[in-house]
Amino acid sequence: MNTPNFLAAASAGFAATLTQAADAPAVSRLVAEIQSIDDKVRGPAWQNAGPVGAPAVKPLAGLLTHADFEIARSAKRALYQIVRHAGRPGSEKAAGAVERELLAALAADRTAAAKRDLLWMLSEIGGSGAVSPIAALLTDVELREDARCVLQRIPGSKPIGALKKALAKAPADFQAALADALRARGQKVRGHPSLKLAPTKQTSVKAEA
Amino acid sequence: MASQPIPRRVFLQRSGAAVIGASVFGFPQLIPSRVLGQANGQPGAKDRLNVAHIGLGSMGNAHLGYMLARQSLGDLNVVAVCDVDDRRLATAVKSCGGMATPYRDYRYILERKDVDAVVIATPDHWHACQTVHACESGKHVYVEKPACGTIEEGKAMVRAARSAKVAVQVGSQGRSQREAFYAHQYIANGMLGRVHTVKCWHYASPSDDNALPDSEPPPELDWDLWLGPLPWRPYNRRYLHGVFRWMLESGGGQIRDRGAHVMSNALHFMGADHTGPVTIETKGRVPTKGLWDSAIDMEVTYQFKKPDWTLIWAQPGEMVPYPDRQKLKNEGIREGYGAVYYGDKDKLVVWVGDGQVYTERKAIEYRPPAGGVKVPQSPDFDHHEDWFEGIKTGRKTMMNIEAGVATSFLCVLGNLSLVCGRKLKWDPVKQEIVGDEQARRLMSRPQRYPYVL
Repeated sequence: MNTPNFLAAASAGFAATLTQAADAPAVSRLVAEIQSIDDKVRGPAWQNAGPVGAPAVKPLAGLLTHADFEIARSAKRALYQIVRHAGRPGSEKAAGAVERELLAALAADRTAAAKRDLLWMLSEIGGSGAVSPIAALLTDVELREDARCVLQRIPGSKPIGALKKALAKAPADFQAALADALRARGQKVRGHPSLKLAPTKQTSVKAEA
Repeated sequence: MASQPIPRRVFLQRSGAAVIGASVFGFPQLIPSRVLGQANGQPGAKDRLNVAHIGLGSMGNAHLGYMLARQSLGDLNVVAVCDVDDRRLATAVKSCGGMATPYRDYRYILERKDVDAVVIATPDHWHACQTVHACESGKHVYVEKPACGTIEEGKAMVRAARSAKVAVQVGSQGRSQREAFYAHQYIANGMLGRVHTVKCWHYASPSDDNALPDSEPPPELDWDLWLGPLPWRPYNRRYLHGVFRWMLESGGGQIRDRGAHVMSNALHFMGADHTGPVTIETKGRVPTKGLWDSAIDMEVTYQFKKPDWTLIWAQPGEMVPYPDRQKLKNEGIREGYGAVYYGDKDKLVVWVGDGQVYTERKAIEYRPPAGGVKVPQSPDFDHHEDWFEGIKTGRKTMMNIEAGVATSFLCVLGNLSLVCGRKLKWDPVKQEIVGDEQARRLMSRPQRYPYVL
């Protein structure tokens, strides 16, 4: 590494350390306020969570399964604020940082409901680096449908490759969904006719004589 | 002079003549052959339009009541009813006197060859799938507003309707109302000069002050089918019924519920159905608690170009009281929403905008000069009748799918700007968001299989 690059890297690292140090109180405050039982504290906290950014993802993800459903809901909304703030044009670094934290949160031991939320957040901000961890969930019966939808939304060729690979190995009851995702992405898929018009749900209500 | 309403029977006879003419010009496939079996006026029982109803909540029942009244006049048959809630379904079966077959899954209806047309009055997240599927099955469609939940859904609806050559009417019935016709006529004939600004007002959306935890769905409800295209999640009583409107995913708040009426009229009066804004900027306040997440207050500014004009959706905005307080009381005029049209010569107020539309006396009394601009008028000022005419003649309905989707895009984009927290740029020709990768992704929402477009 030449000197100017080294200095630039060192400077960036120092700035990142400073930012993280400066962020720590903001993260602690946000996480504390999200756990308030008073929505007048909790509400503004999640509504203004966007700029707190990536460092808040892990602790907020931990609150997605909080026993108080309003606190869990507020944590989810705070995470979405962070995702959408980081996803603004021209903030690719912030988006990348949030994506990495979301992937780490997805890899942790969590409920299927919490993982579903994280997956859909990744659908808005995830790039090619998110594809493999998401594709790994295509074999999880509880999460595969959400993972399929998320891969359908993430642009680029890598999600298409992952969907094709999954289709080749998928159980019969998931193949049509994968084929549909590929068709939605403009791919030609042989076989696997669409089931969208096939009725399946009967009512017990009878026509009157 | 404004046209007088045409008596319905005369209309049927006239439209029969129009059909014969139309068939010469190459679109006879638009009319069910059974309906065309009678050359003049009233068809026989087997030759009437067979209509099925999907979704039997408050609007669904209003449509059903209308169609049953038309059935009693011998105009059509209500042959099927469908809802995911068995209680609602059983009530509808009773209303139909046993003449309609009940279904939980609307796809059974689409399989029936004898069904000519469907009325879709389900929560918003179902509109696109059901409309596309019905079009693909060759059915004419009346779908409640707002037409679509996402940009890509709207595009798919337009493609499906065009490809199937069926008549689609979106339920923004304000356009068909008598005083909407007068307001449109007044504006289109230049009485305001160049209209540069349209400001809508509407009272706020509610917040969920009775938040509840998730629970098991009631036995009468098929929760999976209610969710349909949405990602799966546990049942919560605060999703339904009726209150689905206050969720961004299934309703979208007042801007989608009433915005799809008031802004529909704005696009119609401005001759802007085939255009769209170039920027959308939303400021708003969302609830701090509860399940509902649509904005309580919001202001959306849409900037249109070539011609330049500004559309503002404001919740609550600046309400203009209806001037005749006695009439307001007598007719139950809901002055809580409407719009003011500002031109460089004058302004015009249009109150309400849905099944009720009221405007100022100067517009009601105005008659365009010879050679003046003629604006479209629904037969009998009746939105359903306009749909029937579209079915019979193949002409565009008053709130055709392109217009319905254009209006719905305004609602979708207003909410998208709010959730993204930034101003959006829109290409009205390509119909896509420009320069914002995340917002572009939100133009669509992949749907849960098999409830897909």
